[in-house]
Amino acid sequence: MDPIAFLQKKWQGLVANATPLFWTAVSIVLVAAFLFFFYTPPQSMIGPEQPIPFSHRLHAGHKAIQCQYCHPYVGHSNHPGLPPVEKCLHCHNYIIANHWWIQEEHRYFNTQTPTPWVKVNFLPEHVLFNHQRHIRFGIECQACHGVVEAQDRIKGKHFKMGFCINCHEEKKVNLGCWLACHS
Amino acid sequence: MMDRRTFLKIAGMGSMAFAAGCSPDPDRKLFSLVHAPEDMVTGQPQWYATTCRECPAGCGVIAKNREGRVIKLEGNPAHPVNRGTLCMRGQAALQGLYDPDRITSPLRKENSGWRPVTNDDALTLIRRKTAAAARKGPDRIQFWTDVMGAPLHELAAETMAGWNAAGPTVYEPFGYDALKAANEALFGIDGLFAYRMEDADVLVSFGADFLETWLSPVSYARQFKTMHRVRKGRKGIFFHVGPYQSLTGVNADAWVGCHPDTETIIALALIQIGLDVGRAGHLPFELKDTLETIVTRYPKAAMLEKTGVPEPVFDRLATRLFQAQNPLVLGTGAGAYGVNGYATNLAVNLLNYILNPALPLFAFEQRYRVETAAPRSVIRQRVDDLRDGQTDVLFVHNANPVHTLPPDSGIAAALQDPSVYVVSFSNVMDETTALADLVLPVRSPLESWDAYEGVAGALGIQQPTLGRLSEAPALGDVLLATAAGGRTAADSYKTYLPQAMNRHSGVIGQVSDWIAILQAGGRFTSPPAVVPPNDPARIDPAVVSQAFNGLADRPKGPVLIAAPSIRYLDGRGANKSWLNEIPDPLTQIAWQTPVLLHPDTAADLKVTAGDVVTLEAAGETLEAPAYDWAGVVPGVMVMAAGQGHTGLGRYARNQGSNPFRLMGGTPRTTGSDVLFMAHAITVKATGASVKLAATSGSRVQHDRKIAMQIPLQELRKPTDHGKPGLTMWDFPLTLPIPEGYDHKRDFYPPHDHEGYRWAMVVDLDRCIGCNACAAACYAENNIGVVGQERIVEGREMAWLQIQRYQDAEDGARVNFLPMMCQQCDNAPCESVCPVYAPHHNKEGLNNQIYNRCIGTRFCSQNCPYKVRRFNWYSWEWPKPLDLQLNPDVTVRAKGVMEKCSFCIQRIKAAHNVAKNEKRPVRDGEVVPACMQTCPTGAIAFGSLMDPESRVRKLVDDPRAYQVMGYLNTKPAVIYLKKVVQEV
Repeated sequence: MDPIAFLQKKWQGLVANATPLFWTAVSIVLVAAFLFFFYTPPQSMIGPEQPIPFSHRLHAGHKAIQCQYCHPYVGHSNHPGLPPVEKCLHCHNYIIANHWWIQEEHRYFNTQTPTPWVKVNFLPEHVLFNHQRHIRFGIECQACHGVVEAQDRIKGKHFKMGFCINCHEEKKVNLGCWLACHS
Repeated sequence: MMDRRTFLKIAGMGSMAFAAGCSPDPDRKLFSLVHAPEDMVTGQPQWYATTCRECPAGCGVIAKNREGRVIKLEGNPAHPVNRGTLCMRGQAALQGLYDPDRITSPLRKENSGWRPVTNDDALTLIRRKTAAAARKGPDRIQFWTDVMGAPLHELAAETMAGWNAAGPTVYEPFGYDALKAANEALFGIDGLFAYRMEDADVLVSFGADFLETWLSPVSYARQFKTMHRVRKGRKGIFFHVGPYQSLTGVNADAWVGCHPDTETIIALALIQIGLDVGRAGHLPFELKDTLETIVTRYPKAAMLEKTGVPEPVFDRLATRLFQAQNPLVLGTGAGAYGVNGYATNLAVNLLNYILNPALPLFAFEQRYRVETAAPRSVIRQRVDDLRDGQTDVLFVHNANPVHTLPPDSGIAAALQDPSVYVVSFSNVMDETTALADLVLPVRSPLESWDAYEGVAGALGIQQPTLGRLSEAPALGDVLLATAAGGRTAADSYKTYLPQAMNRHSGVIGQVSDWIAILQAGGRFTSPPAVVPPNDPARIDPAVVSQAFNGLADRPKGPVLIAAPSIRYLDGRGANKSWLNEIPDPLTQIAWQTPVLLHPDTAADLKVTAGDVVTLEAAGETLEAPAYDWAGVVPGVMVMAAGQGHTGLGRYARNQGSNPFRLMGGTPRTTGSDVLFMAHAITVKATGASVKLAATSGSRVQHDRKIAMQIPLQELRKPTDHGKPGLTMWDFPLTLPIPEGYDHKRDFYPPHDHEGYRWAMVVDLDRCIGCNACAAACYAENNIGVVGQERIVEGREMAWLQIQRYQDAEDGARVNFLPMMCQQCDNAPCESVCPVYAPHHNKEGLNNQIYNRCIGTRFCSQNCPYKVRRFNWYSWEWPKPLDLQLNPDVTVRAKGVMEKCSFCIQRIKAAHNVAKNEKRPVRDGEVVPACMQTCPTGAIAFGSLMDPESRVRKLVDDPRAYQVMGYLNTKPAVIYLKKVVQEV
């Protein structure tokens, strides 16, 4: 068959199936567009907006402040602890003290209002995670929380059981349901 | 090609994602503090030492605070009264703090109803009203309160003096009037002192319910079990004399049931024996002569006839008492006594004096603070003052006289009188507060600064155990703010308190002294021994003869006794859901107050348990379900006080009925001006019946191996279990450790235990059935409260129950058995679960994995101990009760099974500490909540893998057995049989 006839035949085939092909194309474009707009906007790559635009990249990364400075209980309690407003002001009374957002921080401080940080890391309610055990075992914060020092707004994670179990199996540590995680 | 399974997965995920996307979780905020408190570490508890104020005993408490909220109370181990333990009311004090019906702001009564006002408005009103009353003349203001610590009491008195009025009236419904009067007569002490019960070898109580409410129940529970423990093949002996058994009575070796108000004659008969056998040589001739005259009025035959006590029972009581080295006789209970109460207590005091003139077991120096309670005669006078227009302003603090005084006292009418301005400092809308003109809620004891010395030498401190739940001021601050003329220099009660304590005892020289007191929970000293002001020998014989001359005969017709309740005391605990939900130890009935009557009386009335009867006396009637109980003499009805509220809150309103209503219109005699016994009541069956919210399936154990006992004499024999077999009675004790494996018996292979095998040993000989452990379990493990209807359906959630079994022959003999998950090695629950939700872990525990459970309830069916609890609903914790929830324990939702975990969160906490210190968990380091609070130390916990552990040693006791061990479940809860003795 000569090439012209071949192309003509294909073209006729396309014309004959124009409607389904059109809708297939439309679906593909819509899906692609959906995926594009869902995953590519800058907000989707980073965590939710916080009441104060605090950057972990700046503090933990660029300024290399230790995680434990702001999350002091991580080595001796279940919870790592959040820095109280006064701790932010320990530094920021001197550093960019007049910045708009530091002024906002002062407003929290002066009105004795707890800062409503948006939670990003989630664990099911029936799990009791003990930070202390993991830190003392020598697990890096980044092993679970990702490269925090490279993120402005932390994206966080919904931790699932498989994530925990895999690591516990790999490291040959406690796998008892109650003794390890639940109670 | 997509298979069906994958399709379902994806379809499922899609719909889940859709559903999840549409319901954003509202709790997605983390709040950071503004200032970090120095001592607060999120995730770690802080402990604050304070003092329990649920009853006048004043036990020491340490309050566990997590992230700013109190989640658990435990006894303060340093406190001499309770030494680390608490009763169920103490455990439930948290529910008073977090009462969902707490009044949140001051309320002023207007024609249209209550109008919220500000604290300042309320204080202004108080200042105006008190100033006007003070101008009118002296004593126009009254202040009714429960027992307060000395600093607050003095401040109140000072404030009242500024208003030209006499000091506060301490109103305690169960006020020990008769005992105080008897102490005054013989010792010259118009008060109450402690007894060294632990040193006694024979104890006789004429109704004192010292395991429930009497003076200092936690302390006496410990002391009683010390004197009652087996030592060198012998045990202390305890007789309980009275018309009904209380919980104390069922713990006696013998209950001597007598007709009401005839206890005096029994005490006199014992005095007579003392005189006859020459034990009264030290008595002055005149006193002896007087006593001879009195006792000859009741020759033995007449005494036995009047009291209804069988002769052999009385003889045994007398023999044991006069053979004793260190006898101690206690008087009547705080409430449950009749017109002869004073005479009984005086006879008891005289009997003690005859038995040993040195009175070595009387600690005269340890005076109870509750002695400051005003006698009922004074209360009556105060009510008259209210009614007669002698009073313009009445303050009420922690007192509910409208509920606890009989209607014929006229208190309700007096409060409604518009000429009296009534200010209530109550936190809840109780019956008295409902009649007030102004309600100014003040902080509860767990939120306040104060000091309270329940018994001399045990000066407990009270400090706030959490931040403020409301804007309510402390009572001390209200008094300081309203005190006429600003008499007191302190700007707040917190600064006033150390000054006041200093004025008393000069204890606080420096700030460090104050901090030391706060850390220890108080200042604990042993006051020097004192002799009573009056030598008992010098008592005026006329006083004695007068006391016994007008002795009333036993009442004609049926009587109703209003007994102090181990759960509600006088009713102040009625809005605490745990106290309602945990059944009464004797009847096993939750939420309701039945009337106890003898089976013969019930048969005469043609009623059975649950049939409603009407009781009528003094023009008042009440209805209550009947409960036949062998521990009541025929003709006597007993109702626990505390329920029957029309106010107070959602858990108290319209629950049960109030026996105080029938306590009016009875005769009065000297000394015992208050009565908790209604005479000549009319009892009728109504024909109706209610379903009792009973948690017991059966009253007897049907000859099963459940709650076991062993006679004392058999204990002396060398242990001989006989040849082990496979039947109920010869099945050997099989420990849940590898050595308990027998290939001939066992179908399943043995479990390997890594390091630990947790086990519990429960000594039934020490268990008094007080249910403190059950309350502690509710608090520690976030157990749902299901309410009366659900309990009727058998859906209670208690992980730990004190089961009660009556003896099949003698219903007045009762065995208690704390029953919780037995953490079996061959657990029947594990083998039937289709999803492996109950699962055996390496330390021997039977884990219930909530998120794996699908709710088939097969496990519960297959559990021979019936300790598994299914969540038929998602239980609610009305705000702010949810603040009490323990963050270390998952709150279970509808559809999953749950059960005792041996307090896994505490085991994990101990592991955590041990790992940090790179050592194994020490024996005794894990203390479950039930063991922690047990006043008698009946529970031990530890690892059976450790040959040196306490539990491992205790299981070698010949008394050790396993409940239904013949099923070869190999329970890890090992019981020690109760040791009984014939006396």
